[in-house]
Amino acid sequence: MKISIIKKSRKITILIFWVFIWELCSLFINQPLFLPSPFEVIKVLMNLIGDYYFWKSVFNSIIRVILGLFLSIVIGIIVGISAGLNKFIEELFNPLIVCIRAIPVMSIIILALVWFKSYYVSVFTTILACFPIIYTNVLQGIKSVDIKLIQMVNIYKVKKKYIIKDIYLPSIKHYIVSGILMCLGLGFKVSVSSEVLSTPKYSIGLNLLNSKSMLETSELFAWTIVVILWSFIFEMVFKNYIKRMDKET
Amino acid sequence: MEVKNDYEVLIKNLYKDYGAHVVFNNLNINFIKNKITVLLGPSGCGKTTLLNIISGIERKYSGEVILKDSSISYIFQEDRLVPNLTVFENVAFVLKSTMSKEETKKTTNKYLSLVKLMEYKDMFPHELSGGMKRRVAIARAFAYKSRLLLMDEPFKGLDYKLKNEIIQEFLKIHNEDKRTIILVTHDIKEAEALGDEIYTMESSRSL
Repeated sequence: MKISIIKKSRKITILIFWVFIWELCSLFINQPLFLPSPFEVIKVLMNLIGDYYFWKSVFNSIIRVILGLFLSIVIGIIVGISAGLNKFIEELFNPLIVCIRAIPVMSIIILALVWFKSYYVSVFTTILACFPIIYTNVLQGIKSVDIKLIQMVNIYKVKKKYIIKDIYLPSIKHYIVSGILMCLGLGFKVSVSSEVLSTPKYSIGLNLLNSKSMLETSELFAWTIVVILWSFIFEMVFKNYIKRMDKET
Repeated sequence: MEVKNDYEVLIKNLYKDYGAHVVFNNLNINFIKNKITVLLGPSGCGKTTLLNIISGIERKYSGEVILKDSSISYIFQEDRLVPNLTVFENVAFVLKSTMSKEETKKTTNKYLSLVKLMEYKDMFPHELSGGMKRRVAIARAFAYKSRLLLMDEPFKGLDYKLKNEIIQEFLKIHNEDKRTIILVTHDIKEAEALGDEIYTMESSRSL
């Protein structure tokens, strides 16, 4: 309990330190258009929070992030397990994964703008950004399974569904968790970037674009803080869920 | 070599090497059905390699390996237990593909009792001693319905009293279900106590 309080107060002190640095820089530059003070940004953020439009934008953006993440996790796990168990599937998907990884996110967003309605552009972009990470992690997890256990199950002719459930899934669990953790932050970044270009009606991205167009730098900072906070909340919720799961097992 | 029809495993002209190290050069051997054949020899003479070839784990060799039946149980030199499954689940894991839920439970309990692990059945491999893990591997191999049982130093790591008890139970089971057993050991006493046939293997040579 005592250690936990010390840890928390240390984190808060570090946070205060960086806010202080931000304030110093803002005072030094003395041009709110380039770098507004943290107090000004918090004031704007407080005004935004009281607005129904703010919550509607945040809600819609989060739904798109969740949808994109969910689909990339499901597709990544299914394709990753299939590729891990079948060399041909791995070879088949390899060029696709290499291409997706190499394509700049901006190219994906622009292509998606041509192909989809603005609402789905960020979902599609999130899938393309996160799916290769989940896929690669799952594949790595499958390959790390002890070959001696696989020899054993082959001799005892254990059915594939039991091998996947009792050997592969427990082995790739940690790889999936680390993949999802990587994707949580990336998902928010990519999704909001897509929204800036695709401008769906209610979205954080559209608000970022509007703030930039109106030269409302404080608002731009406030919306950015919103993205950081939600990304952080998602990560915390997920980490706590994993901790609870580990305790239960 | 005279080949009778009562074989379970027939090996013809087997050649196996690891680079310059020749393990088998034109090996011919037949393992007789329902008998316990013991392979006796020093470490590195190819006993485990032969079991791996018979079981299909080792595929890089020339010659012929003919099995009358493809159902095999294998007690490996290492225990090869699934780390996230309990003692009970480890044994049941190899049975549930071919048995009903009820039969799996009954068979698992029977063989766990045989190796005296019933009171540890809910424990995970990392909570067991080396000897206990060995007994789980033995129970798993005995419980699996196979015609051929490959045993690679199965009683290694067991204390003398327990080893004798399990050997007695093992012989009792063998008299009931009459499987073909190929047992690898370098313990002459064990070989004499268990083997219907004993083959002595010598250390292999390098080219």
